[in-house]
Amino acid sequence: MAGMSSKRLQKELSKIQGTLPPGITLVSAPDLREWTMDISIIDNPIYPPHETYRMRFSFSPSYPIEAPEVVFVACTSPERKIPLHPHIYSNGIICLDLLDSQGWSPVHNVESVCISIQSMLAGNSKAERPPGDAEFVRSNRQRPRDINFLYHDPKRAFAGGIVF
Amino acid sequence: MKVTYTSYTAVAEWKWDLPAEADDTCGICRVQFEGTCAKCKYPGEDCPIIIGACTHCFHMHCISDWIASEASQGKCPMCRQVFKEKIANAPASPQVRTPEARVTRAQAAGSAGATG
Repeated sequence: MAGMSSKRLQKELSKIQGTLPPGITLVSAPDLREWTMDISIIDNPIYPPHETYRMRFSFSPSYPIEAPEVVFVACTSPERKIPLHPHIYSNGIICLDLLDSQGWSPVHNVESVCISIQSMLAGNSKAERPPGDAEFVRSNRQRPRDINFLYHDPKRAFAGGIVF
Repeated sequence: MKVTYTSYTAVAEWKWDLPAEADDTCGICRVQFEGTCAKCKYPGEDCPIIIGACTHCFHMHCISDWIASEASQGKCPMCRQVFKEKIANAPASPQVRTPEARVTRAQAAGSAGATG
């Protein structure tokens, strides 16, 4: 399986080093295990266009059969904050079914995940954290993929809520 | 002018016999079907293509890895219908595991030597 993830990531990398949709940039891809991407949002006052958000993608050797782990990361230089969204916890964990085994499909890729998250932010109208954010951030020791998120949206477009 | 061939080299080309609307690239490994999946070295019958009833095609090794994973729930990665192999029209020998993904070999180009 190791061959699968590295060959496919190599292909994705050469593609995204060429062109990416507006507002999505590759920050670093030092190896084929962990990449950093920056996104910015146009047309939503909750996310001013000069603010950029950083995401860390971690790939297991069974990518793309298994979803990548994608979290927002905060840093000070350059300044990157965790975007305010009812499905993004203040520790950067994103509750999005696309990233969970329930919603993942191997035809998704780094670019399509970035586009989905970018549009999830662009379409957001609530400048707030998920319910139970403080408690979740304090108590969670699980990796994002092991968290038992409960998806409310019947169409499973976006998600929210955790089963403790 | 009279030309006499003393030798010739025949070149053959093969292609998978895929539905006309099919993509030329496997959506899972992103390698063209004429190439191998990420695990194989040589393209062709050792690394066959599976055509789904939904018309989506994948390298057999790629789709079987996906179907074997719990997350797939047996569904096509493209359209999320339950993935079923399309039943081939042609009867296949029992040893052939992927009857509909046959290699069609083009006629060897350039037949016998000619004079002209």
